[in-house]
Amino acid sequence: MICFDNLSKRYPGGYEALRNVSFKMEAGEMAFLTGHSGAGKSTLLKLLMLMERPTSGNLLINGKNLNRLSNSQIPMYRRQVGVVFQNHQLLLDRTVFDNVALPLQVSGYPAKEIGRRVRAALDGVGLLDKEQQKPMALSGGEQQRVGIARAVVHKPRILLADEPTGNLDPQLSTEIMALFRRFQSVGVTVLIATHDISLINRMQLRIMRLEDGELTDDGGGYGGY
Amino acid sequence: MAATDNSRGAVGQKLSFAHRWRGYKAHHRETLRASLVKMLHEPMQTVLTVMVIAIALALPASLYLTVDNVQQLGSNFESSAQITVFVNKGARPEAIESLEQKLNGMSGVTSVEYISAQQALLEFKALSGFGSALRYLEDNPLPAVFLVQPMMEGEVDLVQTQKIITDITALPVVDDVQIDMAWLQRLHSLIEMGHKIVLALGITLGIGVLLVIGNTIRLAIESRRNEIIVVKLVGGTNAYVRRPFLYTGLLLGLFGALIASTMLFSCLIWISSSVEDLASLYQSQYRLQGLGITGFLSLMLIGGVFGLGGAWIAVSRHLRDIEPR
Repeated sequence: MICFDNLSKRYPGGYEALRNVSFKMEAGEMAFLTGHSGAGKSTLLKLLMLMERPTSGNLLINGKNLNRLSNSQIPMYRRQVGVVFQNHQLLLDRTVFDNVALPLQVSGYPAKEIGRRVRAALDGVGLLDKEQQKPMALSGGEQQRVGIARAVVHKPRILLADEPTGNLDPQLSTEIMALFRRFQSVGVTVLIATHDISLINRMQLRIMRLEDGELTDDGGGYGGY
Repeated sequence: MAATDNSRGAVGQKLSFAHRWRGYKAHHRETLRASLVKMLHEPMQTVLTVMVIAIALALPASLYLTVDNVQQLGSNFESSAQITVFVNKGARPEAIESLEQKLNGMSGVTSVEYISAQQALLEFKALSGFGSALRYLEDNPLPAVFLVQPMMEGEVDLVQTQKIITDITALPVVDDVQIDMAWLQRLHSLIEMGHKIVLALGITLGIGVLLVIGNTIRLAIESRRNEIIVVKLVGGTNAYVRRPFLYTGLLLGLFGALIASTMLFSCLIWISSSVEDLASLYQSQYRLQGLGITGFLSLMLIGGVFGLGGAWIAVSRHLRDIEPR
């Protein structure tokens, strides 16, 4: 589903964020992406979101080379991807419902369908009763869950998460990881960037470690295979 | 349960075209509604912008109406622009008769009226008040006169009229030909100048409207920067991002044109009573011409086009800079 083929990213000014990164993820696979801040995690996710283009190498999604996508094709590509942002990027002047509905609205879904899907997504993250609230009225964990609902409401093939448990206590982190597990179980490819070691340790999942832009470790969790 | 889970996980769901079209229409409606609501939420900003646009539209439009009315007034007088043909004193009646036939036969002449020397004298006696003085004259000092009405369709055809005058002057027994054309010519150059001023003012203020709307939209884009980024991240196309701003520009332009029309209409009502008083003093049926339905629709069209255009310029200049990073 995701295939990095000897991919490098150099920013103007010479800073090399990623160097010769190669890995594959199958459809329905779930993995952690870890490393110190500045190791290249964010750049890797940005490449997957087409917020950045690689300097060299190829990035294939479902067999399609993203380098061949023109700028006007980017929106269509992004509709296949769901992203959970570290700062959740919710629109504070809209209700929870409207925030979650956004990916469906931009894809042109009719209102009835939007209502059905948004409620299903909110039900999935346990926030059905908060749909008319504004994000500011919610707790940090609830805001993060709204972000997750928005990331999956359009049933993406790929779910990316950037520090999804950033400021959450272990209890909430576990709940959110369980949510990701559920999406994985229905065939979504899930990639979670985090440096939350305790979280990684609790889950027995594939771990990819970035160090100074290079993929230094790709294998089982600390719990080990 | 397993079946529904599978369908939930089904990737790359496709929407039918009919679905998309309905969603697209609904989105347009929703965007229009949201743009209106946003404008009403910032009433001061909206009112100021709309008023600036209204004034910028009303100024050239009112000047246009003024020129239009002067032109109407001019054509009222033009229909009374007669050519006076003075006949040689002592011309024989047969010669006068043949002159009348010739005048009648000329192209570009609608009517010819003959006033004999006697008639002219009687008229003069009756109207001038010098009747008693005339008794001391030995014979009638007034010549016979033909009043020739040149053809006037809409605008006065000065070249054509000039040709008629030259032709008449060349006829036998014609002593002199008179027409007061100089003021008509002046009026025409004034109207032409007025049209040019309307055009220049219209272009200048049109650019002003573009800038005002452009600036308003630029501020709106800036204040919704975060929203634009999020929309782009979840797969919103540029057209989707552009749409609300284009609607806002369109609405501002239309509201501006509406207010401008209202301003012109009120001014017209205010002025027209004095114009009617003045006209009645001159025994004229003259009435002020308003915008009319065509003028109103044109003004709305111009407002809408400029609103949309200004928004388009601002959006194409500023949205490119806003990309998720």
